[in-house]
Amino acid sequence: MARVKLDDVSKSYEDVVAVKNMNLDLQDGEFITLVGPSGCGKSTTLETVAGLTKPTSGTIHIGDREVTNLPPKDRGIAMVFQNIALFPHMDVYDNISFGLRLRDFPKEEIDERVENAADIVELGGMLDRMPDELSGGQRQRVAIARSIVRNPDVFLMDEPLANLDAKLRVNMRTELQRLHKQLETTIIYVTHNQAEAMTMSDRIAVINGGELQQIAPPLTCYNEPANRFVAGFIGSPSMNFVPATVGDGELQANGYSLSYDTAAVEELTSREEVEIGVRPEDIYLVQNESEADKPSAPVEVVTDVLEPMGDEIFVYLKPIGSGEEDGMGSVEEREGLLMSVDPATDITEDQTVEIVFDRARIHLFDRGTGDAITHGVIEGAKMDTGSSEGEAQADD
Amino acid sequence: MSIDAQDHDDAETLDDQDEESKNRVQAWAADWIRNPQKAYTVMGVFLGGVLLTTTLFPLYWLFAVAMAPPGQTNIPLIPTRIDLYAFVDIFQQVPFARFMFNSLFYATTVTVVVILVASLAGYAFGRLDFRGKLPLLFSLLVLSWFPPATLFLPLFRAFNQQVKMLGLFTLPTEIYGTPGAVIAPLSAFTMPLAVFILMTFYAQIPDGLEDAARVEGSSRIGALFRVIMPLSAPGVATAGILTFITVYTEFFFSFLMTGDKASEWAPIVNGVLAFQSRYTVRYDLQAAASLVAIVPVAILVVLAQDKIVSGLTQGALKE
Ligand SMILES: Nc1ncnc2c1ncn2[C@@H]1O[C@H](COP(=O)(O)OP(=O)(O)OP(=O)(O)O)[C@@H](O)[C@H]1O
Ligand SMILES: [Mg+2]
Repeated sequence: MARVKLDDVSKSYEDVVAVKNMNLDLQDGEFITLVGPSGCGKSTTLETVAGLTKPTSGTIHIGDREVTNLPPKDRGIAMVFQNIALFPHMDVYDNISFGLRLRDFPKEEIDERVENAADIVELGGMLDRMPDELSGGQRQRVAIARSIVRNPDVFLMDEPLANLDAKLRVNMRTELQRLHKQLETTIIYVTHNQAEAMTMSDRIAVINGGELQQIAPPLTCYNEPANRFVAGFIGSPSMNFVPATVGDGELQANGYSLSYDTAAVEELTSREEVEIGVRPEDIYLVQNESEADKPSAPVEVVTDVLEPMGDEIFVYLKPIGSGEEDGMGSVEEREGLLMSVDPATDITEDQTVEIVFDRARIHLFDRGTGDAITHGVIEGAKMDTGSSEGEAQADD
Repeated sequence: MSIDAQDHDDAETLDDQDEESKNRVQAWAADWIRNPQKAYTVMGVFLGGVLLTTTLFPLYWLFAVAMAPPGQTNIPLIPTRIDLYAFVDIFQQVPFARFMFNSLFYATTVTVVVILVASLAGYAFGRLDFRGKLPLLFSLLVLSWFPPATLFLPLFRAFNQQVKMLGLFTLPTEIYGTPGAVIAPLSAFTMPLAVFILMTFYAQIPDGLEDAARVEGSSRIGALFRVIMPLSAPGVATAGILTFITVYTEFFFSFLMTGDKASEWAPIVNGVLAFQSRYTVRYDLQAAASLVAIVPVAILVVLAQDKIVSGLTQGALKE
């Protein structure tokens, strides 16, 4: 149980900057998830908190102590490594109890705690196996058990559930959440799994290229992404982006046009080039228009590929007249859209359909900087102008 | 290409011949040509036999000498009598056990010192990045090229408090004639090889394991001894055995830096030589003593071989 604070932490290796001016402020007992593309610096951030790598600049606090220069053993942390890192010359029991034995716990207490941890990760009866006699998922669970026996102040978990099957994954997810509730330990968690990030975390920190993009509660990241990167990264399938030019009360985007309330987004008139972002579930067939909060005027498109997923159908849409030349260059070059519809919908490939966008859930991004301009192009929409930075900082 | 043809030819010729005219050698040859595997087996056994004989014969010869009665110089190849009394006598005539203890003491102490220090050095060279690493490693290598004998005189005088170390101070006590006079220089001479061996092994232990140990609560040095060293067991055993044998069989320093008596920390060489007085030489006892002296090394090698397990890092990390 401790607050964790990173101030302007940077880490560069000879040729790459792995982490750039990272500011994070975790409340006591908070569950934070770091997400971002591979190589964006998530593991490096964890390592700096763990004390395994020294930041090039910046300071780190855990609790009230500055720990920037303390060795890992004095930081009160436990870590599950991305590469698991079990000690191959020790059996499961010795692996799990390694830290306790180092701290000279009495034998009975060690036994009790190891037993307990092994139960949580469903490893009972395997305590005398060697790591090379375990499956990948079992090893991963040993690693989790090793980190939870010590009741540390801060958990650092680098993709701890990556090797588990879907069922065990969900089990372990709830198990970890229960553990978090019970121990009230601060957890920094890295995952590539959207569902884990959305369901487990108090806040999600989205990182790209070593830079923090946004740190906010999951739904805020989803509904009010701070910039185009966050918008595209959070959510699966990912958001549609369409470049557009700003007209008077109207956004012009390869063939589609979209009206907006000038009063709501006054600031737009000063810009010319924007990017429209709309999630697949915020596009509706015109007959379902009523489901949309603030439907736009209908747009005609042609369906392309259909992907039935069971609980919904993903429909790829292309602008009408694809493959033909027109004044704006080859239509093919323009991006299509992805829409998700109810599985009962009667729809076929290469069908001309009319769609509407939910104007309340349309995001506009600056095409140059990628920063969000507004979420929703209607009256009373959430404006992100200028305040987006401030909001992210305030959360810090 | 033509081997098949030859095979065939030979086979035919042999087939053509009468059973009687086939002498034994020809039959063998034919058999071996048809089954080359047999020939290889025989050759392998033969070569192995030669190797074994050349290595084991000296030992057998020592045994034969030990069996001969005192004073007999004409040693028969096969002992005329088996009399193991020489093996008992060596411990009664001189304090041979003490001589052996001295040598074992040198070997053990040096091995422990070398493994400890070389582990730290091997860790630094193998797993850390620091400025001047390469020059330092190179100078260690250069150091190991010095013939130890060239250092004998300066060390002899320093240990006798006759010269100032680095021109600054003389040693506080006379080290000559104490175990330190053997242990210090021999540790230094065996160190470079041990450092190189351990460095190579320690460098191969994945960083993740050390990280895990450190997060779990051990220091870097703790991780070295709890995780890195056990996982490098083959390397540690190799370096240890090499050092042990080098020191145990070392002659120059251990002979010259100590007195001649067992109580003066004389090594096993003095023990063997003690059966030689001004007028008589007990070759039988010297031979017996030499055989006994080999025993600890033999035991050590057999034991350590058992300890060497490779592939220990399997299952440690996710590939
Ligand atoms: N020891 C190192 N030396 C040099 N570069 C490194 C080192 N460790 C990491 N990097 C670089 O730093 C960047 C961030 O790496 P990091 O391991 O933090 O990524 P990550 O976000 O954890 O990725 P993944 O999701 O694939 O685990 C990468 O470009 C990587 O190549
Ligand atoms: Mg990583």
